[in-house]
Amino acid sequence: MAITEKTETTTIAKQKQASQSYWSLVWWKFKRNRVAVIGGIILLVFYFSFVFIPEFLSPYALDNTSNYTEAGPTRIHFIDQDGKFHLRPFIYGVEKKIDFTTRKRIFVEDTTKVYPLQFFVHGDPYKLVGLIPTDIHLYGVDQKSNPDVRVLIMGADALGRDWFTRILYGGRLSLMIGLIGQIMTLLFGTVMGVMSGYYGGWVDMVIQRTTEFLGAFPDIPLFMALAAAIPSFWSPLAVYFMLTLILSFVRWGGLARQVRGMILSLREREYVLAAKSAGANDSRLMFRHLLPGTMSHVVVIATLSIPGMILAETALSWLGLGLRPPLTSWGVLLQDAATVRAINTTPWELWTVPFILVTILAYNMLGDGLRDALDPYGSR
Amino acid sequence: MSEQLREPLIEVKDLRVEFDVRAGIVKAVDGLTMTINRGKTLGVIGESGCGKSVTARAILNMIPKPGKITQGEIIYHRRLTKEGQPGLDDVFDLTKTDPDGKIIRSIRGGEIGMIFQEPMSSLTPVYTAGAHINEAISLHHLTPVRKVGDQLAEQVMAHRKVTKEEAREIAINMLHRVGIPKPEERVDSYPHQLSGGQRQRVMIAIALSCEPAMLIADEPTTALDVSIEAQILDIMRELQESSNMAIMFITHNLGVIASMAEEIVVMYMGKVVEQGKVIEIFRDPKHPYTQALLKSIPTLGKKKTGERLASIAGMTPDPFNLPTGCVFHPRCPLFMAGRCDKIAPTWKEVSKDHYASCLLYEEA
Repeated sequence: MAITEKTETTTIAKQKQASQSYWSLVWWKFKRNRVAVIGGIILLVFYFSFVFIPEFLSPYALDNTSNYTEAGPTRIHFIDQDGKFHLRPFIYGVEKKIDFTTRKRIFVEDTTKVYPLQFFVHGDPYKLVGLIPTDIHLYGVDQKSNPDVRVLIMGADALGRDWFTRILYGGRLSLMIGLIGQIMTLLFGTVMGVMSGYYGGWVDMVIQRTTEFLGAFPDIPLFMALAAAIPSFWSPLAVYFMLTLILSFVRWGGLARQVRGMILSLREREYVLAAKSAGANDSRLMFRHLLPGTMSHVVVIATLSIPGMILAETALSWLGLGLRPPLTSWGVLLQDAATVRAINTTPWELWTVPFILVTILAYNMLGDGLRDALDPYGSR
Repeated sequence: MSEQLREPLIEVKDLRVEFDVRAGIVKAVDGLTMTINRGKTLGVIGESGCGKSVTARAILNMIPKPGKITQGEIIYHRRLTKEGQPGLDDVFDLTKTDPDGKIIRSIRGGEIGMIFQEPMSSLTPVYTAGAHINEAISLHHLTPVRKVGDQLAEQVMAHRKVTKEEAREIAINMLHRVGIPKPEERVDSYPHQLSGGQRQRVMIAIALSCEPAMLIADEPTTALDVSIEAQILDIMRELQESSNMAIMFITHNLGVIASMAEEIVVMYMGKVVEQGKVIEIFRDPKHPYTQALLKSIPTLGKKKTGERLASIAGMTPDPFNLPTGCVFHPRCPLFMAGRCDKIAPTWKEVSKDHYASCLLYEEA
């Protein structure tokens, strides 16, 4: 009995091995590349926490202002004045004072007021994933009993808003703009590239000259011109989508050229002729028979160029041409931190930078790993 | 019985295909005339570059880019009722159809299937064998292939899309018919998991899944080894018998053609030089080119060792600069000076149903 079971499982395993698809081989190779896997995990965590649950992770709502104007990061204590260790961390209340020598507003800890830090604390109401109404936040000080106390792990801005909260919400827009923009670029680029390569002739001519035309513009001035054309009375959300469109419109050319090049060689393959002789029409040949052949390459290109998209948004918003307050993106946050005064007095506002850096790095790690895994001739 | 029944399916009349390339105009097919009959096999032989494949492509109106059909017609007798015995034929010229149009697309694959020389690259690498067959079926909105005693069900199901399970069953059934072992497993195999012979069988299964009236086999066994070749040929013969399908068998392998075809067309530089029954052509070749071709087959046991194999002298002529008169005259062993290089030969019936175009059979 046991023996037959064992042989059965081995035959199943053998069959599975025999019918391993291309993508399962890619996955197998990708898994062994630790750096790429780490990049992928970082991105999964980032996207999940910034796009789906920033409301839960942040202790306050985005528009929750307080009188903690430009307060530095709150110190979290485990050991109290008497040297006693507490398992539950706590913070002290603060008192606003003016330092008379530097004429700066400073916050001094009032050790008489102790507020315990809690997990899953009730706070500002919100809807989880836009659906479930709740008011539970990952951490914080209970706001019902102490409405004026703030725990600001990355400091506060000029309106007393929690900087960490802003980074979380900003990440949502910045990461999404990269992804949505890249998806649009992908659609644009592959469709144009496939048509260009498949039809050739004047279609090819028009598409290729257009990409050259777009490519001949310097990026930033072109962005600026297009972004300046967005009407100022539009809602921030409309501006956001317009910006995504602009970013993908400027960037599809490179991808279209690469796809075209691949299609030019693929369309001479015998299977295209075979499919045609079986009665397939042009669009079927292009998108069912030719396009899949370019997919592995396209995936790599897409992954490696999402960081460019995110950086472009950041740069544009930093220049004041992209997203504008009241929207919060990483570019908008960087703009806040872009003055010498800000760096001098509120250096914690630079916390945005490591988030951007880690995201970009993770994308590059993932992209490199994908490229190695998808390359059938790779030796590693 | 089949001897008397000669219903034409495709009639190629005076076909001319030209490729306008930078160096000049190449006449790939130059005044070709032939008839393919229903349920019969027509063998087309000739050297590389003599226009065999271009003719096949012209029938499907799939001439590659710089090429153009400049003259002639390809009459297709389309049978409207597939099952009924005295079917009505819709007769029209394939060269007049829109090469991307609906009519020719429904003919391609649906009524005239084609298999290619290179089984290694004729399947799209990202789709399984089953997916390929399903594509062919769904492209032609076909009803499931009938099983024995299933005629009624077939009529009911006419013009209805095939469900996934049915399609899979058809695919497995087709793979079984072309002799692929373990078709239930192979149906989910990707092309790279199949051997060359298996891929060619899958190609045949695809071509046959829509029950075409005709199969164009463009050197289907050239890339396969000899034992697989024999199996593939057996399968094709069996399937032809069971479904009364015409085959246009293109090859340069004389041994294969002798065992496959009933009638042979010999092509040279885009022209038919000789046509006739297989037996007649092999026993009594009339055209010097055919004679030379047949002499160049090595035969076992007949010759003394050390003797050199006969070959055709010279090279195929420059397509941009064809010889005057008979195109074969510079290589012809029976060259008649003053005639062959001046006068173009005409199409002559040298004996019953045996045609050749050579000045040897024309009076001065």
